[in-house]
Amino acid sequence: MLLKTRLAYSPTMPRTFKEKLLFDDFLVTAEITPPKGTDLSEALEDAEMLRGLADALNVTDNQRAVMRMSPLAVSKTLLDKGHEVIMQLTCRDRNRLALQSDVLAAYSLGIRNISVMSGDHTTKGDHPRARPVFDIDSVQLLGTIQKMKEGFDLSGNEIGGLPDLTVGAVSNTDLSKPMQLLKLRKKIKMGAEFIQTQAVYDTGQFQTFMEHIVDMDVPVIAGVIPLKSAKMARFMNGNIPGINVPPEIIKRMENAEEPAWEGLSICAQTIMELKGLCRGIHVMPIGNHSRTPELLEMAGIRKDN
Amino acid sequence: MIISSAKPFEEILELLKEEDDIFILGCNACAAKLHVGGEPEVIRMQQRLEEAGKRVVGWVVPSAACSVASFDALVEKSPALKEAKVVLVMACGSGVSTVSRVADLPVYPSNNTDSLGGRSQGEVIPQLCAMCGNCTIYYFGGICPRGQCPKQLINGPCGGSLDGKCEVDQDKDCVWELIYLRLERIGRLDLLEKIWDSDGIPE
Repeated sequence: MLLKTRLAYSPTMPRTFKEKLLFDDFLVTAEITPPKGTDLSEALEDAEMLRGLADALNVTDNQRAVMRMSPLAVSKTLLDKGHEVIMQLTCRDRNRLALQSDVLAAYSLGIRNISVMSGDHTTKGDHPRARPVFDIDSVQLLGTIQKMKEGFDLSGNEIGGLPDLTVGAVSNTDLSKPMQLLKLRKKIKMGAEFIQTQAVYDTGQFQTFMEHIVDMDVPVIAGVIPLKSAKMARFMNGNIPGINVPPEIIKRMENAEEPAWEGLSICAQTIMELKGLCRGIHVMPIGNHSRTPELLEMAGIRKDN
Repeated sequence: MIISSAKPFEEILELLKEEDDIFILGCNACAAKLHVGGEPEVIRMQQRLEEAGKRVVGWVVPSAACSVASFDALVEKSPALKEAKVVLVMACGSGVSTVSRVADLPVYPSNNTDSLGGRSQGEVIPQLCAMCGNCTIYYFGGICPRGQCPKQLINGPCGGSLDGKCEVDQDKDCVWELIYLRLERIGRLDLLEKIWDSDGIPE
């Protein structure tokens, strides 16, 4: 253990996301959106801006039920460029055969982190007539992957094991919905090794959330989305489940001369407060990551990996 | 009950465009309760078809279209059926299917079949049951998430509900919100802690 610790902290030794989860690092993950089309250059540029800043890049899976390139291909491409990835996997588009087969594919291509979620309903996306699958849910998928890690598929056939796979899940942090917390408990019970959350603006509310799950002993990575305008804040409050931008932040945005800069500054302040509350942040900007390095700099986050 | 709703009359006319000598078969079970296949609706259908220039040879409203015994049994109830060239069934898909099995005639539906639901205090309640063949509704306070959640989630809600409303339909309550409130009322919130595996079996 001592050796492992010493090895893990050696600055010359690159560490994996899994190893960092086990130690005390304040982690930075960030969202990369696959292209609508076959040109990966924008996704790669976005990832390049985060090199040396993010510990892992989440590759979204037909996010908001909008059809895009498979996260498997994008994850593999990012991996080849030297980025560590967290491949997202939704239950919306695949039955249990396809889910397991994509987990196997990801692992064999070198992807070592997967984050699972139900997925937005197809009626919300750009192919509203698509049949939603939801053969199994995120809790059951976590159970399935746990079984796969032990060397068996869902039907009990031997598959040889995926020993180095790390699997995570997502959660809202709104405690007014007790069922959300119950589901989070189920996810952790079924093997979620990290949790990434919906965007946090109210760190007081987030602190209460953390206090409620203190017994669960799971690394929580809090989502952040820099605001661009007061309008965006109000839109999110009214339309995005699990997001609560407090009135004083909306006021700051309204009064700002440069709202985008103010949004970044508010986000940096949130990140600084989050440092004392959880294990990391997950940056999900609207648009690209061009201002993420500046945001992390403002929040005093430096990485030497 | 099986929830079915009447197709627009224009669509029915289009279906019957090339047909004549129509026999109308209603259903005195669900369709009658929903007013889309009982005697008054059958009589009204006959009038409308005749107004549209169609010949209707007769009609019958069996106790349930989905349990007709045989063609002969229907003829016994309504001999006019023998003259019919086609049958228009005012019932759900099961009714249309059962009649098709016994009648060697083209059989047309007048209704669209929506779901397995109920009707209480005058209100039609669709989609109460998914007919999954493995009833576990007790664990959810008598509110089936498989039947009512658009994602059929049985381990708890998705993250898409806004102000207690369903992600898919903002006019509908999130079924998990209803399940929680119901189990809270009957003092059985403990049931929510069960983890359901991929075969729908509680841990």
